[in-house]
Amino acid sequence: MREIVTIQVGEFANYIGSHYWNFQDELLGLAEEPQGDPVYKSSSLNMDVLYRSGETSQGILTYCPRLLSIGYKGTLGSLSSSGSLNPRISQPDTLEIVTWPGNVTRYTAEPREKNIFLQSLCEEGTANLTSNVADQGSSHPQRKITDKERIECLENGVQYWTDFSKVQFHPRSLYELHGSWIDVEKFDNYGIGEEILSAGFQSEEMNERLRFFIEECDHIQGIQFIVDDSGGFSAIAAGFLEDIADEYSNTPVLLYSARSPASYKLGKSPKESVSRALHDAVSFSRLSSCCKLMVPVGLPSLSRSKFSSTLFVEDQKLFHSSAIYAASIHSISIPFRMESHGVNAESLYISGAMDVGGMVQMLAGQARQNMITILDSALPAHFLNDANNQSTILRSLCSLTPEIEENNDDLHSIESLIVHGAFSGGRRASISEVEKFIHTEYQNELPRPKLYHLTAASCPLPIPLPFPSIFNNRVGRLGELSTTRLIGAERRGSLEVESIPMAARLRSSSAVKPIIETRLGSLRRYGLQRGGFGVELLRSWGFGKEEVEDMGEALGKMMMLLDPNACGASSDFDSD
Amino acid sequence: MSLRVLNPNAEVLNKSAALHMNINAAKGLQDVLKTNLGPKGTIKMLVGGAGDIKLTKDGNTLLKEMQIQNPTAIMIARTAVAQDDTSGDGTTSTVLFIGELMKQSERYIDEGMHPRVLVDGFEIAKRATIEFLEKFKTPVVMGETPDKEILKMVARTTLRTKLYEALADQLTDIVVNAVLCIRKSDEPIDLFMVEIMHMRHKFDVDTRLVEGLVLDHGSRHPDMKRRAENCYILTCNVSLEYEKSEVNAGFFYSNAEQREKMVAAERRQVDERVKKIIELKQKVCSGNESNFVVINQKGIDPPSLDLLARAGIIALRRAKRRNMERLILACGGEAVNSVDSLTPDCLGWAGLVYEHVLGEEKYTFVENVKNPHSCTILIKGPNDHTIAQIKDAVRDGLRSVKNTLEDEAVILGAGAFEVAARQHLINNVKKTVQGRAQLGVEAFADALMVVPKTLAENSGLDTQDVIISLTNEHDRGNVVGLNHHTGEPIDPQMEGIFDNYSVKRQIINSGPVIASQLLLVDEVIRAGRNMRKPT
Repeated sequence: MREIVTIQVGEFANYIGSHYWNFQDELLGLAEEPQGDPVYKSSSLNMDVLYRSGETSQGILTYCPRLLSIGYKGTLGSLSSSGSLNPRISQPDTLEIVTWPGNVTRYTAEPREKNIFLQSLCEEGTANLTSNVADQGSSHPQRKITDKERIECLENGVQYWTDFSKVQFHPRSLYELHGSWIDVEKFDNYGIGEEILSAGFQSEEMNERLRFFIEECDHIQGIQFIVDDSGGFSAIAAGFLEDIADEYSNTPVLLYSARSPASYKLGKSPKESVSRALHDAVSFSRLSSCCKLMVPVGLPSLSRSKFSSTLFVEDQKLFHSSAIYAASIHSISIPFRMESHGVNAESLYISGAMDVGGMVQMLAGQARQNMITILDSALPAHFLNDANNQSTILRSLCSLTPEIEENNDDLHSIESLIVHGAFSGGRRASISEVEKFIHTEYQNELPRPKLYHLTAASCPLPIPLPFPSIFNNRVGRLGELSTTRLIGAERRGSLEVESIPMAARLRSSSAVKPIIETRLGSLRRYGLQRGGFGVELLRSWGFGKEEVEDMGEALGKMMMLLDPNACGASSDFDSD
Repeated sequence: MSLRVLNPNAEVLNKSAALHMNINAAKGLQDVLKTNLGPKGTIKMLVGGAGDIKLTKDGNTLLKEMQIQNPTAIMIARTAVAQDDTSGDGTTSTVLFIGELMKQSERYIDEGMHPRVLVDGFEIAKRATIEFLEKFKTPVVMGETPDKEILKMVARTTLRTKLYEALADQLTDIVVNAVLCIRKSDEPIDLFMVEIMHMRHKFDVDTRLVEGLVLDHGSRHPDMKRRAENCYILTCNVSLEYEKSEVNAGFFYSNAEQREKMVAAERRQVDERVKKIIELKQKVCSGNESNFVVINQKGIDPPSLDLLARAGIIALRRAKRRNMERLILACGGEAVNSVDSLTPDCLGWAGLVYEHVLGEEKYTFVENVKNPHSCTILIKGPNDHTIAQIKDAVRDGLRSVKNTLEDEAVILGAGAFEVAARQHLINNVKKTVQGRAQLGVEAFADALMVVPKTLAENSGLDTQDVIISLTNEHDRGNVVGLNHHTGEPIDPQMEGIFDNYSVKRQIINSGPVIASQLLLVDEVIRAGRNMRKPT
């Protein structure tokens, strides 16, 4: 077993993470359910890769994510930063202060109300504890809240990422950054993040907490890192990644740099747009320089993307959009936790196990050394065999990475495809069927990637209760897609859909060129223009001319590796 | 002005309104922090929206916990926190001083005086006060063996403002001994060489100084000893886990056998490293009762742990980077980055190494070391907020001892310096100043009194009475401070109340700078989001 430690930095990253851990929690629950679907019991996915066992100071055994979540102070909602495991001090007003005999002034903030969903979780927790003693019947009258109400409360009022989380976190998992009196809204560029990181012991504390999780790993395979790179958190993450690269040099980091649809609406004035452009450039350049594989994700709008054929996503709700990224990241992480049976060993439930290092090596370690990767996803995935008895899964994959070339026919692309819980003719397809169909589809695909790796698993993506109601009425109970609209609610959520088949793919391709090009362009246009506003701004963020030039050079090199013929074109930029 | 045209939402305050906004902000902040000051101050308990508890009597911690939106207040707060960053204390005093300077200025400005004149007076008074401080300070000679009593008095003065007396006195000994332990002649004191570790266990009075090191992890093998005496310590930064080399990624292999072979070869390399460590152990431990402990910054995987355990070695992995340095200072030896050239000279020594387990938390104590230059303050307490508060106090205590050693001087406390400086400004300096700048000097002098005044107020004494009796004594030539129990003048020297020279100096330097900036503001333009950092 090889452990993964997950790090989430920033608001949107924590939203994604919250859904991600809800999926894991659901998988754990379903595997234990006596009458549950056997597909979960025999998933052959080892949850210990992502979770750790421990015990509280009261001696109660715990099973918590190996997770470090970093957020802005005050964004944990009703959850205490020491997690939910330690008993809360119930009446702070009467608490005795042992260290000071003199006067005491108490400042009590308005307690943050738990929403109906969290309240019912709490009650369930205590009910479980007491159910051994109490008669089952007596707890029934308490169950007044229906699932429908719980879902509605989430649809209408998620304010914090913790509002829809059903996971118990370790006391060291949640770290709140102190912002030295900067408003959350103003925490929107690279410079300001840098400033916070340099003050006090914050980065040291982050490193210490990470060390706690890594020390207990017998053999860590990698770090899964999600960052909200739309604002100051980029700098926090970059600083952290640098420390990680230094301290755990052989541990590969798989970085998802995510941004929410809302972040595209920032910065409309000319000055702000220069600031945005430079933020994007600096953030991209710094983050890519200290990880092994970077996956930019976050479309400006999901409701106007190809995903709208099966999903209703309200772009303004982070609760909605984050669910889609979380589902895809879940799929990508499936090969990392397959019980390894060696290369040729066949399993009924899984095939194509790979560790983080293997994945990184395959995608970024080849001749082209391209480490910027595209995430594609099909949610839910199509049937393996359509009317013509041919798989259309590859064609149904849509990109979650913004700013890429749509119709790129790169002959050197490398892909890692994960298909899990797929159907074939109305039943779950066996692993060998999946392999057969997908390999055939790749044979017919033009242009064919230079190299691809297929991971298949029988276990679908379970839809936990706090998943948003975003499926449209073509999605059936088990995520099967019908051509006709189903009767019933137009928006289907966890009550209507139990699980969905998924396909997700990481693709290393020259289609990422526009991402790098734009950022390189902004650096050159604003960052190196003598006396310009951009130069001043970069200086206030702590980047001198030489550093900006270095960043530009690194990006230029990335471009050249992707497209050796374009090197002439890129040097043209200089003369502009 | 152009900004107003460009941005109709920008809110423009005229000069007088702007000035009063600044004054009010400074006073507001002063009001919040005022009750913190001194051994009779009020402790603050902050309960967050999710029930998190924070306990503090420290201005610095309190400021950081506060949500401040007013740009003037933020500016003052930043200055005060910077004060703490550089000198380790004096946050509350800085805020009080700035607030009082603004308050005193308000009187004169309301009478029609131009702020510029006040600011000029501030500048003169500041220079005079710094000069006076040089004369007033009590020099302390810090040779090879510093005067421990004076260090204790300074530490005690700080700690007694944060914790109840008995605990403060206990911690006084701890912090003084800790700093003396890490002090090396001719080298700047690096307080990071004092590890501060905490355990949620027992009571605050169980806090102690460990001469040696406490690590927050234990060995990861069931067969390793939990307690060992006479230990050789190997401090290293060598990977003892099997890492898949880059060419060895699984999918390149067509058959399992080939892969197994590669894996075996890689594994062998790791085993070689472990064997070298075991060889060294055999060399130094054979035929005697000693034990062998490996503390590694990198990982150690289960097969390596197995090998080490079988050889009777205790091994800890993923030690803090900073502990590598501390271990060497505590136990001797040297940190090795490779096992190729291991000699017994690399090894450190500790009389006792043992593990302490609390739930899932493990601690390893490395104690009974010879001549340590690094140590650990182990804080115990019943809950997190108590521990956090003690930790803050310990940090302040350590800084105060370090400052004293570096300043080679101390300042009489309990408000004695402030009263003396005021009398000096009023009686001597003011006369030498031409024109209305005199009033600036007077405002400055009166502002200094905020410290004794607040001390008196927090002790429930009559401020006027106290100030009068203190200034009278000073005019008679007696340097006295305030006895916060009785309100009577006392001799701080006799009572052993001393403050840090560098802290005082910085407060006097930074306070007037900020106050002047705030007074000289012409116009405040609030353009909403753009005003990120007031400069």
